[in-house]
Amino acid sequence: MSKFAFNSISEAFTMQSLNGQNHGLYVWSVLAIVFFTLLITFLVYKYKLKKISKKIK
Amino acid sequence: MIKKFIHQFASPKTYLFQVTRAYPYIFVISVFIYIIAIFWGLFLTPEDFVQGNSYRIIYLHVPASFISQSLYGGMAIASAIFLIWKVKLSAYLVKSIAPIGAITTFIALISGSIWGIPTWGTWWAWDARIVSTLILFIMYLGLIALHDSFANYEKADKFLAVLVLVGSVNIPIIKMSVEWWSTLHQSASITISDKPTIDPSMLYPLFGSMIGFTGIVVCLVILSSKLHIFIREKNKSWIKDYV
Repeated sequence: MSKFAFNSISEAFTMQSLNGQNHGLYVWSVLAIVFFTLLITFLVYKYKLKKISKKIK
Repeated sequence: MIKKFIHQFASPKTYLFQVTRAYPYIFVISVFIYIIAIFWGLFLTPEDFVQGNSYRIIYLHVPASFISQSLYGGMAIASAIFLIWKVKLSAYLVKSIAPIGAITTFIALISGSIWGIPTWGTWWAWDARIVSTLILFIMYLGLIALHDSFANYEKADKFLAVLVLVGSVNIPIIKMSVEWWSTLHQSASITISDKPTIDPSMLYPLFGSMIGFTGIVVCLVILSSKLHIFIREKNKSWIKDYV
């Protein structure tokens, strides 16, 4: 865990591999899907809990 | 004394109070571990010689895949407890875990498909591991639909518990699919019996992401179970005091 695998932000964004292919699109899209899926799930449950709490009260 | 303890903790009321107290701690610690592990995996680990940088998807895909199967295992245990000892909380947990299991399986399938494009040259293959995971996803959706289709909750709980136990046969199939059949999907890199085949520089952030993701999913299960307890126990006096 000592040094960065990329030399610049643009390199980290494109994630060009040794074979010349850019893998950034795949990695970042998976990260976005995981982040938004978790975020939406949390928000939906929070909303539903708030709604039912009001009903119970 | 143990029986008394189990029965005390197995009451929805005690469970609700305990998990509400634990929730913020689990959430903060898990999110912190997950962010550190993802940052470590995406920026600080070296590039893989064979897969290039696309291998970094491992830090998002493997935790989701591991949890999607573990949640089903948890549902199967809770179902058995409900059917044997008639513990009401177990039935609530089975119903609460199912949507979270579906979400984690969805993440595992989508992330696996995207990973497949640069590594296998295709986003989908009728491969044993992928198909058995798709079956798991369909099973989760089916279990949610089955429970919602009943007007009588008690009947729904029993049917759900039995079906979860029947469906649990799919879990060892998913696990062993890469050993039993010739598949595109690589075999397990981490096993209990053997030394991991991943370099430690890549392995530690993977463990971190698995621990962090597990904690985040536990938080989602807590929210889901809280919602289900509210729905089922809404007419009880203690729930009005709690809210």
